[in-house]
Parts: sequence; structure tokens; C-alpha cells
Amino acid sequence: MDNISRRKELQNSTNEDALYSKEELFLAISTVIDPEVGFNLVEMGLIYDAVCNDEGNVHVTMTLSTKACPMHQMIQQWVKESVERMKDINEVVVEVVWEPEWNITMANDNVKKALGGGA
Amino acid sequence: MFQISQDFAPPFKLISPFFIIGALFYLISTLYLFGFSVENFHHLDIKVLSFIHLFLLGFVMMVIFGAMAQLVPVVLEVGHAAVELFYAIWPLLGIGTLMMVFGFLYLPALLPYGGTIVLVAMMIFVFEIFATMKKVKKFNVVMGSIFISNSFLFFGIIFGLVMALGYAGILNIDIQAFLGAHVFLVIGGYISITLMGLSTVLLPMFGLSHGFSKKPLYGALSLMSLAVILIVISSFVNFSIIKYSGYTFASISLVVYFYLVYKIYKTRARKENDIYAKSIIFAYLSMLASLVLAVVYVVSEKETLLLASAWLFFFGFFGFAITGHMYKIVPFLVWFERYSPLVGKQKVPMLADMLPKQSSHAQLTFSVFGVLTITLAIVFQNDMMIKAGASFLTFGALAFIRTILYMINFKQGLENG
Repeated sequence: MDNISRRKELQNSTNEDALYSKEELFLAISTVIDPEVGFNLVEMGLIYDAVCNDEGNVHVTMTLSTKACPMHQMIQQWVKESVERMKDINEVVVEVVWEPEWNITMANDNVKKALGGGA
Repeated sequence: MFQISQDFAPPFKLISPFFIIGALFYLISTLYLFGFSVENFHHLDIKVLSFIHLFLLGFVMMVIFGAMAQLVPVVLEVGHAAVELFYAIWPLLGIGTLMMVFGFLYLPALLPYGGTIVLVAMMIFVFEIFATMKKVKKFNVVMGSIFISNSFLFFGIIFGLVMALGYAGILNIDIQAFLGAHVFLVIGGYISITLMGLSTVLLPMFGLSHGFSKKPLYGALSLMSLAVILIVISSFVNFSIIKYSGYTFASISLVVYFYLVYKIYKTRARKENDIYAKSIIFAYLSMLASLVLAVVYVVSEKETLLLASAWLFFFGFFGFAITGHMYKIVPFLVWFERYSPLVGKQKVPMLADMLPKQSSHAQLTFSVFGVLTITLAIVFQNDMMIKAGASFLTFGALAFIRTILYMINFKQGLENG
């Protein structure tokens, strides 16, 4: 099953019985910090979506600030591991997408302010 | 759990010799400047030729080759074909460079031998890059720039070896006729085009720039490539219009490239002017100033302006573009090797924590003063200013070595570290 089908299936099956909400998954992923900029991936706006079904299968949709990121595989792995550390998680798939392309407006105000671009 | 591929980050022990030896050559280059006086300010003076090879081969090429071991897989999005070959490149390039430097100064018979060793080092590099490129399925403009630049390097070193044989008296050739082709193939064709391509990836990556058009890169690459080809042709065909068209296209190419860099700068999300940003800003301003001096030289025909232009291009543009990027690349490689396995298990430093602020800023400040003072020394033909500039640059180079060694030895937070 490809990533898109898996994501759609999870989104469709996700209901109130889901093991974790999107917010809980985002909270777990927010422990992953980009060592170059010093912010976590959630506040950078790099995590687009995260869904979990009642069996603990998780699909994370994310992007990176650049296609040429040399830490591409590592960051994907860290996101996967951050979710796997949650209780009763069965399988985690991390999908990196390039549409929509990331830009600074997707980051939260703290990041924008710290980077010098204003909030 | 999937494995993290090491393809995109070759072992640091493979790359670190390039950076350490490159930094030492940078220091030796600054010390060499103390031996200059105004009588040497001629583009065919053996001290000038020797210095240019010391700086460009020992520092610029050495660091670029090391950085390419890391950056080529990132840009090409495939693993190296035979990354182990890089273990052979730095010793050959280092030895060949020293032999060429001594050859120019004391023993021309050494030149072909030094030149051949450099040629072998560069051929290994070029063929490894081409073998890696064969794995690429879909080319983009940056990948194209790497292909073009390495093709020019291939021919540039062939021309260089022929010239070395001429200097040694083995071949009877008109060295002056080959000089333009050799210089433009290596400086314009390889170093400039490599920097154009890579900077289009690295500047937006570090500055978080988005929404700029890459179209100027096509223009800059095409114009520079055309310029190099015309100047090579002009070495064999005695039509000055071909040569001057080449110079014009090369100048326009750099202006277009500067425009692209300016757009990347204006669209960056990361507004802080850290040591990287300051180094890069000085590098590109040097490039622009070098271009202005070159144009004034064409009008005035004062050779000192040509030398000042070349000085700013080499030590100002290449020098600061390289030192600036080393402040990003070295911490990343060290971090990747030592700290990436610890993510999620313990607190790890950020890349910025690994850069010593005082020594890196000392390098920037002393080196800026040094580059500007020597530019003035060349223009005003002043021996005292050469010594003053060399002093500034030597302090800058020492601070640079201290910074590189600090980053390479960074082990904070590690057990036994």
C-alpha cells in the first residue's frame, strides 16, 4: 500500500476511538529539534498532519525546509522514533511531501520573531 | 525500523584532512605574503604564480574537494560511486601543490612532476564525480552546473600540465597563449561555476530563503560557459574580438549571478547576521568590487588594477565564501558523526553551539582588514601596506585554524568528552 492510500485509509478510519489525537501526536513530535535552526519541527510548521487509528497505526505527513536537506533521512527517523515512544503504538509511517512547499509563514510567531522576520 | 543511510554523509575522518590541510595552506599563503614587495606586482612574476597555486590548489581546491565529498550526494540526491577514492585525493593534491610552489620558486624541473601529481588527484576527483553522476536519473540545473564545472576542470588541468612542461623546457609552447585558457577553465569554468551551482542550494538552505526564481542561474551558467569556451578558442585563434567577447560574457555572468544572490538574500527568513552571513556578504561584495576593478583595468590598462581585481576575487570572494561555508559544514559533519546517534537519548548541542564565537569573529575581522589593506597596497604600490595586510591576514588565519580545530574536537556532553 502506498503512502497516499495508507494516509487516506487512516484518515477515514480515524474516529473518536483513535488511540491518540492529532494534538497528542504533535506534542510527541515537538521533541524533535532541527539542530541547524534550533527550533522543534512543529513550531517550524514542518509537520503538516498526523493521524492515528484505534490500533495504534500512525501516519505523519511532513515536509522539510529544503529538498537538499542533508538530514532528510535522520529527521524522518527522529519523527518516527518520537511517535514510537508513545504507549501502544503499533506502526508509524512518516511521509515527506513537497506540496505545499514550506515557507516561513507556516512557522509559529516565536520562530518568526527569533529568526528576525517579525511575528 | 529503517536504517539511516550514510550515503549522504561520508565519514568525517575522510573529509577532515581536506579541511585541516586546507586551513594550513591558508595560513602558509598569508605568511607567504610577507615575501612580496611591489617589484613582484606582475601577473607573470614567479612569486605571484607560486602564490596563486599555493592558495588556489592548497586552500581553495583542497577545501572544495573535501566539501564536495559531503555536498555532491546532497545536491545529486544519490550516494557516491566510490567515496573511498577521496582518501587518495588530499595527499596527492597536497604533495603536488608543494612541488609546484617550489618548482615555480626554485626548480622549474619540478613543475611537470608536481603538475602530474595534481593532475592525478584532480582526475580521480573528476572521474569519481562523473561516476556518481551516472547514477542520477533526473537532472536539474544545479546538477548540470556540477557536470559543466567538472568538464572544464578536466580540460583546465590538461592545459595546466602542458604549461608546466613548457616552464620546465620539455615542451616548446607559447605559455602566454595558454595562460588565459588555463586561468579561465579553472577559475571561471570550475571554481566559479561550482560556487554558482552550490550556492544556489546552500544559501537558501542556511538562510531559509523561498520564493526566488532560479532563472538567473541559467543565464549566469550559460554566459560563463560561453565565456570560457570563447577564451579557450582565443588561445588558438588570434582574433581579439573573441577574447574580449569572452571577458564581457564572464563579467555579465557574474553580474547576473550577483543579482541571483541578492534575491536569495532578500527572500531569506533568517534575518540574523551571524558569522556565516557576514562572511558571505563580504565575499559577494569582494566579487562585485573585483569586477569593477577589472572593468577599470580594461579601460585604463593599469596592470596593478588587474592584480588588485584578482586579489579581491581570490582572497576576498573565494576565501570568504569558503571560510563562511566551513563554519556551517564542519559543525554539521562533527555533529552528524558524534551527536546524531544520541538524539532522543540525551540532550545534544545545536550546531551553532559548536562554533567558537570569539575566534571565528577574530578571523572575520582580521581577514577583512587584511584583504582590504592588501588591495590598497597593490593599487598604491606600497610595501609597508603589504606587510600590514599580511599581518592582519596571518592573525586571521591563526584564528581560522583555531576555530576549525575547536569544531573538529568538539565533544561537549559526550561521555569522556
